Amino acid sequence: MKLSLARLLRADDGPLTQELALASTDLGVLPERLRPDGIATVVCGFCSTGCGLDVHLKAGRAINLTPAPGHPVNDGAACPKGWDALAPLTAPDRAVRPLARNARGKLVPVDWNQALTRMVDKLKAIGRAHGPESVAFLSTGQIVTEEMALLGALAKLGMGMVHGDGNTRQCMATSVVAYKESFGYDAPPYTYQDFEESDAIVLWGSNLAIAHPIQWQRVLRNRRQPTIVAIDPRATETAQASTWHLALKPKSDLALAYGVAHVLIARGWIDRAFVDAHVEGFDDYAAHVAAFTPERVADDTGLTAADVVRLAETIHRGPRVSHWWTMGVNQSHQGVRTAQAIIALALLTGQIGKPGTGANSITGQCNAMGSRLFSNTTNLFGGRDFADAGHRAEVAGILGLDEGLIPRQSSWSYDRILEGVHRGTIRALWVIGTNPAHSWINQPGLDEILQRLDFLVVQDMYASTETAQRADLVLPAAGWGEKQGTFINSERRVGLTQLVAPPPGQALSDFSIFRLVAERWGVGDRFARWSSPAAAFELIKQLSAGRPCDITGIRDYAMLAEHGGIQWPLPAGTVPERHRRLFADGRFFTPDGRARLKVADPAPLPESPSRRYPFLLNTGRGSAAQWHTQTRTGKSAVLRKLAPSEVWVELHPDDARRIGIRHGERVKVSSRRGSLLARAVVTPRVRLGEVFVPMHDSTTNRLTVAAFDPYSRQPAYKASAVAIERPETWEM
Amino acid sequence: MSNAAPAAPDLLGWLLNRERDLSAVERYARAHDRDPGAAGRWRDLIPLSAPRPGEQYAFEVDLDGCTGCKACVTACHNLNGLDEDETWRAVGLLTGGTPAAPYQQHVTTACHHCVDPACMAGCPVEAYEKDPITGIVRHLDDQCIGCQYCTLTCPYDVPQYSPSRGIVRKCDMCRSRLAVGEAPACVQACPNEAIRITTVRTEQVVADNEAGRFLPGAPDPGITQPTTTFKTARDVPRNALPVDWYSVRPERAHPPLTLMLVLTQLAVGAFGVAAFSPLMSGDLAGLGRAHAALALIVGLLALGASVLHLGRPQYGFRAILGFRRSWLSREVIAFGGFAGLATLYAAVAWLGTPPRWLTAAVTTSGLVGVGCSIMVYVACRRDGWRADLVAAKFLLTTVLLGAATTLAALVVGVAIDPGAAGPARTLASQLAQLLAVAAGGKLAFEIGLLAHLRDRRHGALKRSAVLLVGRLRRLSATRFIAGALGGVAAPLCYLAAVDVVEPAGLAACAMVAWLACLAGELLERHLFFVAAASPRMPGGAP
Repeated sequence: MKLSLARLLRADDGPLTQELALASTDLGVLPERLRPDGIATVVCGFCSTGCGLDVHLKAGRAINLTPAPGHPVNDGAACPKGWDALAPLTAPDRAVRPLARNARGKLVPVDWNQALTRMVDKLKAIGRAHGPESVAFLSTGQIVTEEMALLGALAKLGMGMVHGDGNTRQCMATSVVAYKESFGYDAPPYTYQDFEESDAIVLWGSNLAIAHPIQWQRVLRNRRQPTIVAIDPRATETAQASTWHLALKPKSDLALAYGVAHVLIARGWIDRAFVDAHVEGFDDYAAHVAAFTPERVADDTGLTAADVVRLAETIHRGPRVSHWWTMGVNQSHQGVRTAQAIIALALLTGQIGKPGTGANSITGQCNAMGSRLFSNTTNLFGGRDFADAGHRAEVAGILGLDEGLIPRQSSWSYDRILEGVHRGTIRALWVIGTNPAHSWINQPGLDEILQRLDFLVVQDMYASTETAQRADLVLPAAGWGEKQGTFINSERRVGLTQLVAPPPGQALSDFSIFRLVAERWGVGDRFARWSSPAAAFELIKQLSAGRPCDITGIRDYAMLAEHGGIQWPLPAGTVPERHRRLFADGRFFTPDGRARLKVADPAPLPESPSRRYPFLLNTGRGSAAQWHTQTRTGKSAVLRKLAPSEVWVELHPDDARRIGIRHGERVKVSSRRGSLLARAVVTPRVRLGEVFVPMHDSTTNRLTVAAFDPYSRQPAYKASAVAIERPETWEM
Repeated sequence: MSNAAPAAPDLLGWLLNRERDLSAVERYARAHDRDPGAAGRWRDLIPLSAPRPGEQYAFEVDLDGCTGCKACVTACHNLNGLDEDETWRAVGLLTGGTPAAPYQQHVTTACHHCVDPACMAGCPVEAYEKDPITGIVRHLDDQCIGCQYCTLTCPYDVPQYSPSRGIVRKCDMCRSRLAVGEAPACVQACPNEAIRITTVRTEQVVADNEAGRFLPGAPDPGITQPTTTFKTARDVPRNALPVDWYSVRPERAHPPLTLMLVLTQLAVGAFGVAAFSPLMSGDLAGLGRAHAALALIVGLLALGASVLHLGRPQYGFRAILGFRRSWLSREVIAFGGFAGLATLYAAVAWLGTPPRWLTAAVTTSGLVGVGCSIMVYVACRRDGWRADLVAAKFLLTTVLLGAATTLAALVVGVAIDPGAAGPARTLASQLAQLLAVAAGGKLAFEIGLLAHLRDRRHGALKRSAVLLVGRLRRLSATRFIAGALGGVAAPLCYLAAVDVVEPAGLAACAMVAWLACLAGELLERHLFFVAAASPRMPGGAP
């Protein structure tokens, strides 16, 4: 009695305490109730960093997750998205059954047979009536390479489609074109280890600390006390943490790079021997940049002539200099030439192929790199050319198909596909794992385009995305963690992701959906070799044979897991190393082995600020806890907590004072396309006359102007003219 | 996984089954030797030996390494198995500087494992303990009754209440990990090694905090002596402030506490009026009995309401354990005594006239209870809950609701049974005057606090005022209208009409006064919680 009375008064232990009680496990100290009985190491499915994550399993199912220690990419660290990657899988709005729009215009559940019949009948009918060009697909950088490859094969070699593109157009197309022209192949040359081995790290339009936190970790692990230069109109988190921030005018990075090249050449700070041996087009380049004196560049960029010279000096002093760029360069009306101007700086100074060097594009999505090589959209499999008969024959041989099935032209780009819809050439779209109704540029324009479609199929994890809500047919897809396959990260590392949770309801992996469509289309036998992701991986290996991305030396998935991913190339018979970079021998993938220098004159902004729209709008990542259109990160209670709760607009204090806007006030931001309401954040982080809105809100792209890089057709999300005013009461 | 897929039409069913059969899946894990690698990573980030006397463990944050990735928050969440939306760490943002040199700094914070933890001092059930060796402030989850008082006393918003469990939980610096030489979750997770555990000398913590240089915009470290060190090699501009410094948002409402405070004060006030008036004597004895019963019932209701506030009311009896330190325990004891004495009083009153000592005892115990209530909030050491402000509000509520209740009881009683009309009328008029003065004074006092709108400094009282005239303006307006109607207009009406209007009309007037006063005070107390700008650590962008 006495004892129990004492316990009633004082309970040092009990069920609530035990709920959090920690115990030592194989994976370190963990709550007893979350003690795993197995682990599976997978590559994260958000960004292109490609972190290794140890998924904790209990009875075969994921119960928890920790970043994999000792992994060559992230060595036990992850950003919040990775840490909470399992939460979005159990969201209540997962698509669990196929949905079809009924006669009254409502999406209602149907069974898979009805859905497949409807899809196949409708697409075939449209194709018969309007020709093979009338059906196209828009895919994603978020699915595994095996799925991309099967889709590319099925759509073009099975269903007879001509056009298909991926959302990688929105983030990486510029780098692809720049590398292809300059190096002869889409080949980012670096390893993340270069972050740790540089003496000068020049970041062009990259908010690494927020967009790729684990790559920023690698920068901070650099023990050489590097000079970190952030070239960005906005004082981002990265810029603040850098040694030196160059707050230049938006899109003046091309002029800056030419100015730096001018100084390097004028002062003899180039590696003449390397240029002579390995670079083509130096004389034209030198002639072109001769006009870009520091004084002129100062005018173009809003920096000082001394800044330009100092940047050149930093690059000259080295001794190891690496250049890195992300969306600030890629999402530009002159992105390709800008990327190539950065590549030129590395080539002129011979800063490539050695530790801590390189002209390095940091990719966006987890499998953008897989898409670039194996989606069979603008390039034939393995970075080949549709127009090349030899290439077509190779691919047909490997896939065991008739060469005549392969189209002789490459796909239209994303924007041209949408233009095709607008013109009525394309009547049906199959959208897979992407959310254009949120993410595409000039949203009001896209709204109108989508209305013109006869048939829209959306295949996604969630039936709630802005695009799925407009679909005629929704196919429920499994997500990352619910299927097996490989991703290729920014540093060309092929990594494995695995099945650790069952897909909900009737959702199926994209791979299985593609197989079902093939069967239903009546071409199942053509894709009999694609019997599983592992079998598809074998085909991908064969497709890579003899190409720069040769991965025939990768035995199987088990080998990928064992090494924490393997960087391409790994031809048969070679042994994987932990970190590798390309071009150590100065030989590039062009026919003559020499890199190319490409130039263009800086072009004016597609839309300059005007009296009515006096501010220049920049868009970009809001926080490390948010991913793109937030279809996944928005489903995690923790990530929601870590992200801003509403859309905001950053405005310079002097501008705010001039137009009478106070910090924290709701304001209306409008462009020639549309408008949105946002919370005003008055901060000197942005330059005078410029404003910033994060890209994650579904309203942001109401503002953006549909301008594109002429070579890569990548949308220029980061420079639109807008106005800011206090909303009328009825607009609040 | 078998690759022998059947042909259509079985393919669909086969695929659906195969993808859900996780037992058949072959899985691959990276072969790596976890312990040495892991320990190597953290070796420099946790102390090698236990603290000596006069020392304790503390978090140290290298601000230069904190870039706002927030991995620490999610790692803590995963590795400790927290609820879906439960977080023990937070990352805020400081901004400042000049347009030429803008400053921005993310700050990761968790429990500061204070030298003088306010959570522990306030806890009525002694559910907190400060480890005598490590100094870690630990919450005993099974001891907690869910009163949430610690969420008010902690200046850093550390204890997190979980409605589903009915208790609060908080960071324990991963003491079980430290005990086996593993780093806390946040320390392990920071990609930039910006968080570490250090050993600090208590004296040094106090000395450092004396200078007030804890973190710009953070609550005064003198209150609880937080042990976390925030270090940076950069110059922090003088104008660096949390990015949400100027944003004000309503705090959490506590309806049971609102009800409890107002009704206990009403009951104490009603007994007090009885004690200081001839209510229990002569012709008024009948009314006095009814009045005592009414006051008792309201008082018991109030105590009932307070139990509703507990997450685990079944363990509510533990609330007396902390009487040595906690004003909340003392409040519970005082009102417990008050309830007992009030019951006795009502019983005695029913049989005859209560002795004077009993009247005095009830009133005194009630006033001690109200005093404890005042101290419960004063002990939170919020600027908006300064002793003079809380005392003025609570005591004036006691007087005005005591007067309004007794007034209503008398006038309604007279309307029903005109027997004691004479003496009752006299007393009622006095009470109406008292009510008008007390209520008028209280409204003037509350309106006076809005003068803080003119403060240049964005202090707690200004924040409250901004809320009251901003987002909470409708509630504030209703509060003032109800207060003026019930506390001023109705009693003045009564006084003007007392000789000309029928008893039923007067009763209606007194009832209006009572109900409007009660509504006004309930709203005032609701605003007392929601407009009390709490101190907090830096928050994030919008």
